[in-house]
Amino acid sequence: MTANLTSIEPVRKTVTVPAAPPRAFELFTRHIHEWWPLATHSVGIEQAAGVTFGEGPGAQIVETLADGTTSVWGTVTGWEPPRRVAFTWHAGTPVAEATRVEVTFTEDEPGRTVVLLVHSGWEHRPGAASAREGYNSGWDQVIGRFTELAATAP
Amino acid sequence: METYEAVLEALGDRTRRQIVHRLRAGPLSVGELAAAMPVSRPAVSQHLSVLRRSGLVAYEELGTRNVYRLDPAGLSELRSWLDGFWDVALDRYAQRVREDSGSREPRPPSEEGNVP
Repeated sequence: MTANLTSIEPVRKTVTVPAAPPRAFELFTRHIHEWWPLATHSVGIEQAAGVTFGEGPGAQIVETLADGTTSVWGTVTGWEPPRRVAFTWHAGTPVAEATRVEVTFTEDEPGRTVVLLVHSGWEHRPGAASAREGYNSGWDQVIGRFTELAATAP
Repeated sequence: METYEAVLEALGDRTRRQIVHRLRAGPLSVGELAAAMPVSRPAVSQHLSVLRRSGLVAYEELGTRNVYRLDPAGLSELRSWLDGFWDVALDRYAQRVREDSGSREPRPPSEEGNVP
């Protein structure tokens, strides 16, 4: 098997939603706490209490845990409502291991928006294995380990 | 256990992550791996068997050498899992948008057929 693992293809996902781009964008970002599956997709898992999506370049996506502590999942790098939002993604992993997520909102007919999510940057993670002993099991580590593998595989 | 869970389990150990890291440079024998690590050869063998079961590492005979190498299959499993990660999140998002629009406008016909 000779798969070239040094250039991992981006993960691409599309979903069509019954809303115009401004509302679709707003629900994706400002209302993320109303739909994000925190029970399974979070650093805190059962301790996860909420998540907020900061607005504007440099703002952060932050999970709040039941004890009041926070965990930064990423930083907004592109903020072009209602068409596009881009952010780094390092939930549960050091910032240096961040990958990239870009979400675009395209109206395909009035009141209907195609949302395209592209998660990329696997190959850009530093190859050196870094200390990650502070991270417990859970999905949050997965992406970090996935990127570690992607970067270290031949 | 799902395969991706086996992969995660395998990577949950620091020594195993070091083995994976070292194999990136190319196939190595148990002895070669053990020589550069602060654990015994039997311990390295034990870790290698966990890595093999997870699909991350494969065993092969290269001439007279018995070596271990990284196996892309394990990575594929992890990638599939990641695909599913976003599927779940985006399904929840789409559901939220449908709830939002449901009170104001009818659902598109294509959605109505999906109700069980």
